[in-house]
Amino acid sequence: MTHDLAPQLFNGLVLGAFYGIVAIGLSLIMNLTGTINMAHGSFMTLAGYLAYTMVQRGMSFWVALIVAPLIVVIVGVLVERGLVRPLYKREPFYSLLMTFGLSLMAEEAFRLIWGPNGVPFSPPPALAGAAALGFMSFPTFRIFIAGVLIVAIVALALFLTRTRFGLRLRAAVQDTEMIAALGTNTQVLYAVNFGLGILLAGIAGVLAAGMLGLSPTSGNALLMPAFVTVIIGGMGSLFGSIVGGLLIGMAISLTTLFIPAASEVAMYILMAIVLLVRPRGLFGEEGIFG
Amino acid sequence: MKARAELIAGIVVVAILAAGPYLSPLIHVDLSIVSEVLVTALAVMSVNLLLGYTGLPAFGNAAYFGLGAYGAALSAKYLHVDFIGAVIIGTASALLGGLILAPFLLRRRGIYFGLLSIAFGQVFYFVAYRFTDVTGGEDGMNFPRPLVLGHYAINETTFFYVALAAFVGCLIAFRTVVRSPFGRTLVAIRQNEARVRYLGLNTDRFIFVALLISATLAGLGGALFGLLINFAYPLELDWHQSGFFVLMMILGGAGTVWGSLVGSFIYVIGKDIISTQTSYWQLYLGGLFVACVLAFPRGILGTLLARLNARPAAADSEPHG
Repeated sequence: MTHDLAPQLFNGLVLGAFYGIVAIGLSLIMNLTGTINMAHGSFMTLAGYLAYTMVQRGMSFWVALIVAPLIVVIVGVLVERGLVRPLYKREPFYSLLMTFGLSLMAEEAFRLIWGPNGVPFSPPPALAGAAALGFMSFPTFRIFIAGVLIVAIVALALFLTRTRFGLRLRAAVQDTEMIAALGTNTQVLYAVNFGLGILLAGIAGVLAAGMLGLSPTSGNALLMPAFVTVIIGGMGSLFGSIVGGLLIGMAISLTTLFIPAASEVAMYILMAIVLLVRPRGLFGEEGIFG
Repeated sequence: MKARAELIAGIVVVAILAAGPYLSPLIHVDLSIVSEVLVTALAVMSVNLLLGYTGLPAFGNAAYFGLGAYGAALSAKYLHVDFIGAVIIGTASALLGGLILAPFLLRRRGIYFGLLSIAFGQVFYFVAYRFTDVTGGEDGMNFPRPLVLGHYAINETTFFYVALAAFVGCLIAFRTVVRSPFGRTLVAIRQNEARVRYLGLNTDRFIFVALLISATLAGLGGALFGLLINFAYPLELDWHQSGFFVLMMILGGAGTVWGSLVGSFIYVIGKDIISTQTSYWQLYLGGLFVACVLAFPRGILGTLLARLNARPAAADSEPHG
């Protein structure tokens, strides 16, 4: 059993990076507008199915990996402008209900278009097979996934800290009214922010389709771990989401190895322990949605 | 004047419901579906107390509902308790679940409370899902409906009156609670919690009690639901189910006493009728969410009450926000 440990841990890290990136997308949207996006998983599934169809039609995986998330971003921004925006002035649970309804409809639509069962979506030949990492060998596609997710997270961090727009975005989380008074168009901020969250979901969706399978509910399966990631990492902290995601990924893969029956419950136990020790999560900031 | 109107309307509604066994064939609905409306309304009430009155996004009440159902199912199947015993054990399991979760949920307000409710509620789902030997796992577990005191069998008509009695009893209790100083404080917490604290009240304590009442109410609904269909399954505990309860609450009217019945009636009967017509029930359901949020944020009863009252609605019939 112990010789399984290293690959299993690496698996956990890749899985955790998924949770982390989905959680970051959720957090971005939640922090700025107070919207818990229950349709986040549907956007992931949509990206996966779009990429699947593109590859089916003869396009290359690499094009699909870039184009599918961008299409989903357009859909996401349209949804935000058309359906979610009218709810910003109301209690936050209205937007939760709205996106919940959207996810129900999306799930049924996926079933109608792509069939109720999962479809096979395999990584391109260049990424198939396994790579030797010295002490163990590991599927190349998963190493690729880890690479893409790291690049995406670094790019996001640079965008948020090094660009003017990112600065405005972070300032708006602190005080939207002040930012608006200083002459920033907050509606544009909202739309771009939502799109950014969906972009992360889209990229993760295509990659997850290749690793975890693609079915009408596959994206939603990542939603709950992402919620737990946000809670463990602490709301409002992107770094917390990454650490939280990796922790959960490890916890899940280790319990899968040793106590398979407890693999789903593991992350909730982790969450309860973290909350007992640090009520705001590991890196939660005081005062944000206290 | 208003109280008398409500009393008369209430008596009329209960009288119509009491004739359910004779009326339900007329609208081509099974009597057991009407029983389902009544027991579901209890769970919707439990959400209403937290979300409609106290302003806490209770997106995890399916956990208590499911605990009630599983409590009843497991005790009937393995402990061979009678009907009343199963109801009591089911409700008590939900209360116990509430006692375990409340310390975690109490720490947060707003969407963070919602997030925690969703996440913690899901624990019970996975427990039921995984303990296949005891709970039947994904397939759920069926069990024979226990007899009352070990002697008297309960048929669909009798069950309907049991459900009706439970509903009326809970409605009266609910109305009493939300109109009491305690209930008024909950509404005050929704409107401005900081201010309530400045008045010297420990709001955590009020929310704690509200959570326990809510868990008990949802648990009773769940126990009766389990006994109604003689079946318990993990999806009862799932966060989707919690979302459906919230939808029903909004549909009926948040923060209204009778809204729970209206919402539950439309949802349960609508689901029964539509799902026989089409297999895409979920598409309509999702559309209902979207339409309800955009067009009917006050709910049906909430909108009606606001229309009826020329003067601004009283605190408890005021829509959320």
